[in-house]
Amino acid sequence: MADNGPCVIGQQITIRGNLTGNEDLVVEGRIEGTLTLGNHLTIEQTGVVQADVETEDLTVMGELNGDIVAHSSVTINADAKLVGNIRAPRVIIEDGARFKGNIDMDVDLPDSVTPKTR
Amino acid sequence: MANTVIGSSIVIDGEILGEEDLTIQGTVKGKVTLKENLFVEQSGVVEADIETQTVTINGQITGNIAASDKVEIRSDGRMVGDIKSPRIIIADGAVFKGNVDMDV
Repeated sequence: MADNGPCVIGQQITIRGNLTGNEDLVVEGRIEGTLTLGNHLTIEQTGVVQADVETEDLTVMGELNGDIVAHSSVTINADAKLVGNIRAPRVIIEDGARFKGNIDMDVDLPDSVTPKTR
Repeated sequence: MANTVIGSSIVIDGEILGEEDLTIQGTVKGKVTLKENLFVEQSGVVEADIETQTVTINGQITGNIAASDKVEIRSDGRMVGDIKSPRIIIADGAVFKGNVDMDV
């Protein structure tokens, strides 16, 4: 996957600060700060991200701590651990994934389903 | 295994308590407390707080869920409310708005 395709942050790398980009990114290392990407972000099993993330698509197999805004989809794989709030039109959580936070799919709900306050 | 089905023309306003599997094809408002599996079919509309072992959602749920095993929102499912369960599965196409607590 890392041959000639997307940009890869290797396992021994730690980035602190802001990361901005417009290509696919694979994180095998560590990122702390904010991450803004126009394409697909993949956090591999070894990846640890402590950042607010804005991206088109997000696939999490590792660990992510922060709020997520995805313009297309968020996929939380079985090995992932995610703490934070998600805002995306499509959110997929696989069996085995660990997640804590709020999900907002930003879709028009039918009239019969109205948010309930308590 | 014993199995109760609430048909698509049935409307229940109140509380459902039980210790066997329950399938909801109709409308239930109020509260559902089970010790087994709850299935909400595509035609099912539930406006209730739910406490059970597992919930499988193909229909619509408004309310909070506490499941001791797992909650699964299938691709046709729509859910608004908070979920507390050790395992939560959301399929592609499902609609969900609310808080998730897996005890992480």
